Amino acid sequence: MSPVPISHDDLQAYADGQLDGERRDAVEQALARDASVGVRIAAIRAQNAELRHAFDPWLAERVPPRLIAAAEGPTRRGVLARGWPVLAAAATLVMGMAIGWFGRDLVLQRAGTPTTFAREAVLTHALYAADQRRPVEVWANEEAGLARWLTRRMGTQAHIPDLGPLGYTLVGGRLVAGNEKPTGLVMYENADKQRITLQWRITREKADASGETAFRYLHEDGVGVFHWVDDDCAYALSGPFERAQLLGIARVVYGQLAAAPKVPPSAPPAAPAAKPPA
Amino acid sequence: MLVALAPRAARAERSTLPLARASFHVVDAPLPHPELLAAIPRLRRYARVLAGDWARADDLVQETLARAWEKRRLWQPGTDLRAWMFTIMHNVFVNMRTSASREAMHVSLDADSEGAEGAWQIPVQPQQFTHVELGELLQQVGRLPAEQRETLLLAAVEELKYEEIAAVLSIPVGTVMSRLSRAREKLRRMADERPAALKRVK
Repeated sequence: MSPVPISHDDLQAYADGQLDGERRDAVEQALARDASVGVRIAAIRAQNAELRHAFDPWLAERVPPRLIAAAEGPTRRGVLARGWPVLAAAATLVMGMAIGWFGRDLVLQRAGTPTTFAREAVLTHALYAADQRRPVEVWANEEAGLARWLTRRMGTQAHIPDLGPLGYTLVGGRLVAGNEKPTGLVMYENADKQRITLQWRITREKADASGETAFRYLHEDGVGVFHWVDDDCAYALSGPFERAQLLGIARVVYGQLAAAPKVPPSAPPAAPAAKPPA
Repeated sequence: MLVALAPRAARAERSTLPLARASFHVVDAPLPHPELLAAIPRLRRYARVLAGDWARADDLVQETLARAWEKRRLWQPGTDLRAWMFTIMHNVFVNMRTSASREAMHVSLDADSEGAEGAWQIPVQPQQFTHVELGELLQQVGRLPAEQRETLLLAAVEELKYEEIAAVLSIPVGTVMSRLSRAREKLRRMADERPAALKRVK
């Protein structure tokens, strides 16, 4: 059978994950025959990834109050304008508040409470855990490359815990634009499709003065977060769970991170010594 | 060649992605609030690409949200809310641009007029963890023709299907693909023109 010719449109659609049926088969046959086809597809995908990398930081920006109000709909448009003094006076935020977690940051700012890494982690978790198309930038099938990429970009050794024994498989990871430093994120999923994220970034915060690592807990709008500081790095483990359940996972994560070989943030990333798995 | 404008109702109902998620049957059929809030960052991002500056982008998002509420009965629960909102935003933008250019004809254009299509004001953002290339990439996207960069953003960054993009932009799927491939080719050529020292080695 003579090879089916493929068009430029076929290549593009295949690279974008939008080719099915016999056109898809034709491209895959061409891929097997001709290395240059693979190069062109890889080039499109690399450009897509670069574009996402350039444009994703905008997603992390705080949403202005007038847009939150506009999302309320016509009958509740005035709620923020009228309700500010009441909301600002609240010391703790109760789940189920009408304005939701986007407005939470605004209320906290008004109340004089700074936005912390833990609160950002809740926001980031909610943003990406709910994403069906691209919750992560690098998928789990490239796990070795993921760890290397995160290490290189963050300037600190990235370790990806294995949560298989707890019933969680790795979905993948991404970088998130942080206040000052980038934040690494890896996401896991269980059989019920519930997702947890581990986020970390270099911090100037000191760990507890006693020298022990303090686990702190935060729960907002259905998302629980355990966070701690260890060795100049702040960590946050987030998931849609109650405290006890999340603590169990956090302990496993902490144990694995503590057992991993330590490389100081200022050291250059280690050259890959082992061959990547075939 | 643009496809003839279909009535708005038909466009909105052409959303194709069914989401496996419970729909709430409320008499007034409000839009799902958590999904609306979650969509705002993506709407803002696309609005910036359309409008070219941050303030007008937020105006566009606000107008889009208001219009979405007006037309909420056209949205089918279980279908892709984001794609539907992008369609509304694009229509709002086209209407705003049409009336703006009509007004501009009566006003003398000065050199700093922000009405110029394709004017692209990207504030320099500190990107500590990326190479300087990504700031350059934003600039290069800004130099693409407007219709190419809109299509490219929806495909590469928002990852809508070609059929969804066609619905958002009211153009045939074939036009989506040809704009995409022209945009990609242009970006590749701009990348090749970068100084060699800044080229990323894969």
